[in-house]
Amino acid sequence: MAREEIESEVTGTVWKIETKVGDKVMEGDVLMIIESMKMEIPVLATEAGTIAEFTTEETEPVSEGQVVVILET
Amino acid sequence: MAFDELHKEYEARRGKALSMGGAAKLERRRNAGILNARERIAYLLDAGSFIESGLLATSLYPGDRDKTPADGKITGYGRIDGREAAVVVNDFTVKGSSSAATNMKKIAHMQRTSVERGIPMVYLGESSGARIPDNMGAIGMGTLLAGNPSQYARLRECPWTSAILGMSYGSATWYGCMADFNVMRKGAVMAVSSERLVSMAIGEKVDAQELGGWRLHSEVTGLIDMAVDSDEEAIDALKAFLSYMPSHNAEAPPQKAVPRGSDDGSRAVASLVPKSRTKVYDIRKVVRAIIDKDSYFELKPRFGKTAATVLARVDGRVAGIIANNPLYKAGAMDAMACDKIISFMVLCDSYNIPLIFLVDNPGFVIGLEAERQKAPGKIINFMNALQLVTVPKLTVMLRKNYGQAYINMAGGRNAAEVAAWYTAEVSFMDPAFAVNVVHGSEGQRLEESDPERFAREFEAFQKNNSVWDLAATYAVQQVIAPQETRAWLIRMLEVHRNRRTGDIGQHRLHNWPTSY
Repeated sequence: MAREEIESEVTGTVWKIETKVGDKVMEGDVLMIIESMKMEIPVLATEAGTIAEFTTEETEPVSEGQVVVILET
Repeated sequence: MAFDELHKEYEARRGKALSMGGAAKLERRRNAGILNARERIAYLLDAGSFIESGLLATSLYPGDRDKTPADGKITGYGRIDGREAAVVVNDFTVKGSSSAATNMKKIAHMQRTSVERGIPMVYLGESSGARIPDNMGAIGMGTLLAGNPSQYARLRECPWTSAILGMSYGSATWYGCMADFNVMRKGAVMAVSSERLVSMAIGEKVDAQELGGWRLHSEVTGLIDMAVDSDEEAIDALKAFLSYMPSHNAEAPPQKAVPRGSDDGSRAVASLVPKSRTKVYDIRKVVRAIIDKDSYFELKPRFGKTAATVLARVDGRVAGIIANNPLYKAGAMDAMACDKIISFMVLCDSYNIPLIFLVDNPGFVIGLEAERQKAPGKIINFMNALQLVTVPKLTVMLRKNYGQAYINMAGGRNAAEVAAWYTAEVSFMDPAFAVNVVHGSEGQRLEESDPERFAREFEAFQKNNSVWDLAATYAVQQVIAPQETRAWLIRMLEVHRNRRTGDIGQHRLHNWPTSY
């Protein structure tokens, strides 16, 4: 089991978290949506795995490169 | 028989050369599930087409002559899908396929033949670097190195392809970086020096994968175009790449028959794009829907992901597609996306491949980090390259198209012909920001301080962004429905063929740096 840290690629605000801890996801699945540049930007799973932890929550600001989800792969 | 003795020796010498670095080393590779150099050649080339150049070459060192079959680098000619190619295949079981006097002559000969006869180069790389002790000391350096003033002059006369299939330092790394297509097997390493040497030099333990693994090169440096799981997949990828390439730059790329069902996807294109202007989608689905069936070949899929660069066929003709991908950062181009697009334009322009731009982006990424990554220089590099391209360029505007990015993504006269979907919106910046710049005050967002006024001004700004106004200025030559995209591209690729030169461009990017 490896822990994969997934970062937000944009600076913005967490709008909606679409998954929960323990969910099994595939590479490319939408984990949460960040509102940035007037757009809804998804945070995608970079690999298949299980969601271990969220390091942010809805309405929180996030910056580019900030870890927002930890995936167990 | 007159030549019995000589013939026996001939057989014996060939047999020894073909045994490579010996049974024990070959056995270890087999157990690790890794092909050896000659198995790789057999997998790469059409059956029976390989003719070796330099089978009996060895090290010049008297003590090494019996231990260096083919001097560690197997070279020769063979056919790939019926077309001739020159190959350099490193044999790691012979002195780690290190570079030495004889094998450097072999590589130089392959490169000369490739250019003079107009055939692609294939490098299957795995090398430990310059051979020691051959290269040690001033005598070694003076005799062996820097003796070829054209070794690194990459003029893109013929396609170069490389597969990084093991530990690659020195030679295999350099040729990988110079190649037009560089694929890596996961688990292989591409770096200047080995982790062992680096650890010794800086006195710190370094991990080989961190130093030069597939993740680094596919996601951070962009020095590889694709990462795959096995030797076979790497060689398959390399052959697939060559199927889009002409054998040399004075030839048009090969055409293929259009697979049945290629028009099926284009009817549903509109359903792949969300109605809401704030929602994103994956442009790669749109690309797949408008090209010939099963002709999708994406380069650097994990690098600079805000744009996708894809080799494909449209109505049987090879085309290079540069597409903003709203799925990542809304499609806003960053420094990495610029680098990726530029290297793709260089590739396509060098080998007579028309370019198609699919545009949907809110502009370039702005901000402190973007400026630190030389965004202004990257944007202008992009423009330098774009305006030097002489293959036909076609542009389709899908949705958003703002500011300088409108010019970079082959807007206006930067393309031979421009079409816009009726969903396109074009302006200097996103209306939401423009409203704030003109009507807002510093540190305040008008949508919060005066939402009613914001809505009013937003509507006014957005109205002026419509595709009808753009069409009125003739900055786009056609307004089309999404489902008409494929038919438009097919027709325009035909109209804009470079007939005067038999579809051969001027190659004004042919000596562009191979990475920068």
